[in-house]
Amino acid sequence: MVKLNRINLSNDGLTKFLSPIESTIMTTLWEQDDLMTVDISEKTDIPISSVAGTLDRLVKSGYAHRQIEKEGGRVRYKYTATFSHDEMAAEITTRVLDSLVDTFGSMAIENFGKYKSK
Amino acid sequence: MSLVNEIICYGTCIKASSIVIPMAIFLGLAAILFAGFTISRSEKYRLVSFSSAQSIMVLVFVMVFVAMKCSRMFTINAYILYVLLSGLIIFLIPRFFDRLLVRKLNAEPISELITWPQDFVNNLVHTAKVYYFDSAYPKAMASGNSIFISVGMLESFDDDELKAVLAHEAWHVRHNKKTPFLRQLSYMTFIPHHEDGLEAMADAFASKIVGTAALSSAHSKFMQFNGKV
Repeated sequence: MVKLNRINLSNDGLTKFLSPIESTIMTTLWEQDDLMTVDISEKTDIPISSVAGTLDRLVKSGYAHRQIEKEGGRVRYKYTATFSHDEMAAEITTRVLDSLVDTFGSMAIENFGKYKSK
Repeated sequence: MSLVNEIICYGTCIKASSIVIPMAIFLGLAAILFAGFTISRSEKYRLVSFSSAQSIMVLVFVMVFVAMKCSRMFTINAYILYVLLSGLIIFLIPRFFDRLLVRKLNAEPISELITWPQDFVNNLVHTAKVYYFDSAYPKAMASGNSIFISVGMLESFDDDELKAVLAHEAWHVRHNKKTPFLRQLSYMTFIPHHEDGLEAMADAFASKIVGTAALSSAHSKFMQFNGKV
């Protein structure tokens, strides 16, 4: 269960649910597994100071997980997305729909019907 | 006795007693030491002069209380209680704080990952335990007998820079036994103790151990992570 507290409907794409840096990092992790902190900073062109803090938050929220690896006397984190992009889509969709049903009940479900035809 | 009466009592008793001249001498001495602290360049002299000035101020406080003939003064009792309580907190916290930190950070002994940091620190200070904790952000701190290093620091600092950081923190561990006393002094005299002198001395120690190049390299890595390149 990932942590999903803030939804901003006026933002674009994934940034409705995640901050811009979080979205960029998650997109990078979906493209490639087992990335190191410095890899992520290079691929996203985000300074490593911002990447480090955001990765801590993403791991804490459950979106990514990391392992400590020892390579030739050096210690490194290797990051992987916890869920695939599709699993994430399912998870976030479910959470948002749950909250709509929770708030508006049968009215929400009635409106879901419109989407089946899309 | 009301507060105003107590203040008047202080004035009367001090004037009537023989402590006025010794008190003036001590206050003058403290002033000279505080001035020396402000002017001096050497961190060690600054620390010694500041602490000596603080100790003299405590002596002045004690002289004033001894001179007081008025009985059952609220301000004196309140002060004694305050000193005892703050002393209790200041001396107890270092004993337990690092255990709390280990639990809060989920810290593990660093020898589980790499062995040389603990060996390196053992050569500098006898009882320090080095831990690592889970965070991508490079961070190091010392508390009590413990040194904490984040995985992020192990990732992004090279061995020489890590040694500089470890030496700096080891210096803090060495001196953590003495700092509670300095803190207690400043609580007693209400004159705040300056902490950045300690940082400079820790850095000086580190550069003695690993050289200035490693130390400044570690500093610029820190700057890099704090957004100032």
